[in-house]
Amino acid sequence: MKDIVIAGYARSPFHFATKGALTKVRPDDLAAHVVKGLIERTGVNPDDVEDLILGCAFPEGEQGFNMARLVVLMAGLPISVAGTTVNRFCGSSMQAIHMAAGAIQMGAGEVFICAGVESMSRVPMSGFNPMPNPALCESMPAAYMSMGETAENVGREYAVSREEQEVFAVASQHKAGEAQAKGRLSDEIVPIAVNGSSVDEDGCLRPTTDLEGLAGLKLAFDENGTVTAGTSSPLTDGAAATLVCSLEYANANGLKPMARIASIAVSGCKPETMGLGPIFSSRKALSRAGISAQDLDVIEINEAFATQSIASIRDLELDTAKVNIDGGAIAIGHPLGATGARITGKAAQVLQREGGRYALSTQCIGGGQGIATVLEVA
Amino acid sequence: MPSIQKVAVIGSGVMGSGIAAQAANAGLEVVLLDIVAQEGSDRDAVTKGAIQRMRKTNPAPLMHPRNAARIRPGNLDDHLEWLADCDLVIEAVLENLEIKKDLYSKINAHRGADCIVTSNTSTIPLDHLVADMPEGFRQHFAVTHFFNPPRYMRLLELVAGPDTQPEVITTLRDFGDRLLGKSVVDCKDTPGFIANRIGILWMGVAVRFAFEDGITVEEADAVIGKPMGIPKTGIFGLLDLVGIDLQPHVEHSMLSLLPEGDMYRDIHRRSEFIEKMIADGYTGRKGKGGFYRLNRSGGEKIKEALDLSSGEYHPAKKPVLESVEAARGGLRALVEHPDRGGQYAWRVLSHTLSYAAVLVPEIADDIHAVDEAMKNGYAWKWGPFELIDKLGARWFAERLAAEGMAVPPLLEKVGDGSFYRTQDGRLQYFGTDGAYHNVERAEGVLLLSDIKRSSERLAGNASASLWDIGDKVLCLEFHSKMNAVDEGIMMMAANALKMIPAQGYQALVIHNEGTNFSVGANVGLALFAANIAAWPIITESVKQGQDIYKKLKFAPFPVVGAPSGMALGGGCEILLHCDAIEAHAETYMGLVEVGVGLVPAWGGCKEMLLRWSDNPRYAKGPMPAVSKVFETIATATVAKSAEEARALLYLRPGDGIVMNRDRLLAHAKERALSMARDYTPPEPCELQLPGPSGEAAMTLVLNDFKRAGKATDHDVTVGKKLAHVLAGGKVDPTETLAEDKLLNLERTAIVDLLRTSPTLDRIEHMLETGKPLRN
Repeated sequence: MKDIVIAGYARSPFHFATKGALTKVRPDDLAAHVVKGLIERTGVNPDDVEDLILGCAFPEGEQGFNMARLVVLMAGLPISVAGTTVNRFCGSSMQAIHMAAGAIQMGAGEVFICAGVESMSRVPMSGFNPMPNPALCESMPAAYMSMGETAENVGREYAVSREEQEVFAVASQHKAGEAQAKGRLSDEIVPIAVNGSSVDEDGCLRPTTDLEGLAGLKLAFDENGTVTAGTSSPLTDGAAATLVCSLEYANANGLKPMARIASIAVSGCKPETMGLGPIFSSRKALSRAGISAQDLDVIEINEAFATQSIASIRDLELDTAKVNIDGGAIAIGHPLGATGARITGKAAQVLQREGGRYALSTQCIGGGQGIATVLEVA
Repeated sequence: MPSIQKVAVIGSGVMGSGIAAQAANAGLEVVLLDIVAQEGSDRDAVTKGAIQRMRKTNPAPLMHPRNAARIRPGNLDDHLEWLADCDLVIEAVLENLEIKKDLYSKINAHRGADCIVTSNTSTIPLDHLVADMPEGFRQHFAVTHFFNPPRYMRLLELVAGPDTQPEVITTLRDFGDRLLGKSVVDCKDTPGFIANRIGILWMGVAVRFAFEDGITVEEADAVIGKPMGIPKTGIFGLLDLVGIDLQPHVEHSMLSLLPEGDMYRDIHRRSEFIEKMIADGYTGRKGKGGFYRLNRSGGEKIKEALDLSSGEYHPAKKPVLESVEAARGGLRALVEHPDRGGQYAWRVLSHTLSYAAVLVPEIADDIHAVDEAMKNGYAWKWGPFELIDKLGARWFAERLAAEGMAVPPLLEKVGDGSFYRTQDGRLQYFGTDGAYHNVERAEGVLLLSDIKRSSERLAGNASASLWDIGDKVLCLEFHSKMNAVDEGIMMMAANALKMIPAQGYQALVIHNEGTNFSVGANVGLALFAANIAAWPIITESVKQGQDIYKKLKFAPFPVVGAPSGMALGGGCEILLHCDAIEAHAETYMGLVEVGVGLVPAWGGCKEMLLRWSDNPRYAKGPMPAVSKVFETIATATVAKSAEEARALLYLRPGDGIVMNRDRLLAHAKERALSMARDYTPPEPCELQLPGPSGEAAMTLVLNDFKRAGKATDHDVTVGKKLAHVLAGGKVDPTETLAEDKLLNLERTAIVDLLRTSPTLDRIEHMLETGKPLRN
């Protein structure tokens, strides 16, 4: 087996969809800027890049065609670099990393750009033309269930109270706020030029969020439920990218490995409780890495909703002190296709920064799936 | 004199902001200046805050939130040079002569040579304002007095000074009329001009006599409201609305300015009761309460009224007064009724109307100006002289005399006559010279009421009429109750369809001068038919409506809709079938059928789908148009202005928006005539729709809304029917659907819904309460 490493991570600032600073930026432009930034920061020779694998959850409209190939051209990469757009909804860009790892293992390339993007301003969730299969709607309505409803289901199944969710959300906001204030988020951000000014900070954070404020919010999805906008990740615009290569290549070419990919996994689960996906996929990945949850030093779990994050943390018996140290998606935002690359890059970055041996990045996926990656210090 | 394109408004309080917003609504560039912010680092915070408030104020001063972008905020210390390229500066600062004079000096130093300057003063005479100013300034100065809220109140009082150049007045009149859509009334430079001069006395007597005669708040408003043609807020509700604390200031200001011997001086009394209310914070809706308040303490909202003797609140009671009932028989029946209400009505009207009669020609050249001012500035249905005509001028004079009140000379002069008459098809008013004069309309104004006065209708029934509006253009007028679309309107539309080609007419305009263009189909008939299970009749009447609207669309001549006010449901649908629409800026269009448990079935679904499918700026594919139309109809979205209607595609990009309602018919006729040359009717279209997959997608959305508590069970039932229609039924996305097939789907859906009891409950509730039932 070859050693495969993450040797670079960069992202755009994340901003609220439809009202944030990136609303007017095309997703392909956004991705191209971040890819360019990644190339410059890592110093990788672009001629060596085999493929640009780009995750996107709703690849239509401006995210349509084969966006990955277009991003290759827009980012000024050599014509020889290939591009493929992949969709595993929220797990898309983590899937990109997994595909690269698989390809390198197969000897099908040495260096890959594994990126993701979503402009939820410019391509709505569910896309412009949602046309579900009427027969499946009838026989298995959960297949198309809204994410908010699944969050409520998880909350009920795991008896996660509204207050518990709000404590979790406040913590996420505070952690992210502190990380931003101390400059821990700035290194990874590639500034984006919008109308002559440079957008170089995240826009979704609300570090002054408190329990009282959250307690006053209306229920977002179920009048008898517990989930509010404050305990859900916001609709977000953003892009993220990682550089994935063999350790051998990194060493030979002066790249700085951030972490080794120890194991990967995906799993299916019930669509109506898709938020539990991280439990099943993480168990597989931990087992494949030959470690247990207690061996983890850094955990990045995507906070699609507080309910499913809390349920997953509880079920996997994760140490909350190690979870989302720089804040999670409730505070930072969740541009669907970009999140997997962000949290995996972030896990590698935090592992480097904080020390320790193992890190886990994991997320839930609409339709009932989970995805997980175990990293080991490089 | 150049036309006005760029306006500066100085003062960003309620009036200044409202005026700035209306200028922005008219598409003008606006500069808004106020004092430098006292706190914080942003020196423009005052005007920026005002613009922020414009976006949130209800009723909205902006016709579309994006209009705020036309207003540039600044402050009076840093940005006076912005005035250099303004064509008009409107001052709307505090009613303080010294502050205004100081400001005028600054404005004068920065304005261009041709720049007009006006004041929105409500009380200070013009000659006081400009006494110290140089001639060039005085020549370009006038008073433009707006009413609150400036977007919605139609009156603009215009006052020229002795030095004001005539071109300045012409320019301002044109600006107010065509751009801001106002009814411009020329006033003399006298205190309170016209509307407030009379209005303040009217409020004064109405309040004083209520206290003196032991009339309750509810009784006063019941007597003064509908019977006198005054908004239902009456007198005490009105005071609550405008702010009770404002009154002492206004009264004081009037008393300081009014000539000796003015009736108001005799009538006015200080009210310790009201002074205490103000001191205690009971200033009306903006304060702790007023003459009414909404008591929410028990968990539900209870409307309470103030007892004028004890000062305590009690649950508001619907007053029982025989006089108010008698008022159905006319205004005279009200004031002749011996009960307290009748006596109170007489005391209020006798003072108010004789005051108005005394004031002509002091405050205006003619009585028509006075009536226009009260109708457009205080939203009275009839002006003072129209009210006198209702009572009978001779009768009124005799009763005044009998009660020892002075009879105004003008009232004596009119004698047995009336203040208005129709002569040779023209409306005339009684002049101070004792002769009748034609009521002149501004150039380009065409009123259906004038046409009706001077001609015979070509055809008509109880609900609708056809009029020849000249140049071979026919007008279809609705006049059913609330202009609800019914059998009579359908018959008259069918009549127009035959008459136009047969008698050599060129085009049809659909227009009326009602408060609302049409509130929708007459659902009472549908309810009746459903209750007796007359399904074939229901199906047939839906089909008949579809056929007639379709014929209007494909007629061999142009059909132009000219709505103002609400155009809902079936009233909206007829407009959607017009070849073009010229809409008054204050047009509120919407397909609101779901509110009564129905779906649009006179082609409304079909026309909205066509509009959104044709929208080149919208996403492609089978779903985007369908989703947008679903969202619009399923939530019964009503556009709050013609501009919003354009954003919702109730209006198409080529449809016109007319700011002044009085110019609407002329615009529509002109549009019809321009289209009539080389007219080709539209071709039927085929629609590309998603079929069952799209219906499934919309059903998912409905289920989410239900779960989130945003939709009721029956909302979901109605929504599913709507989804089925909009998706094109069982059509496959690879095929297209003819317009007629969509009409079949609409028809089936509405008849199915009429067979459900929750829909019938909704209709019944709407008919009884005027409000939608959420079942």
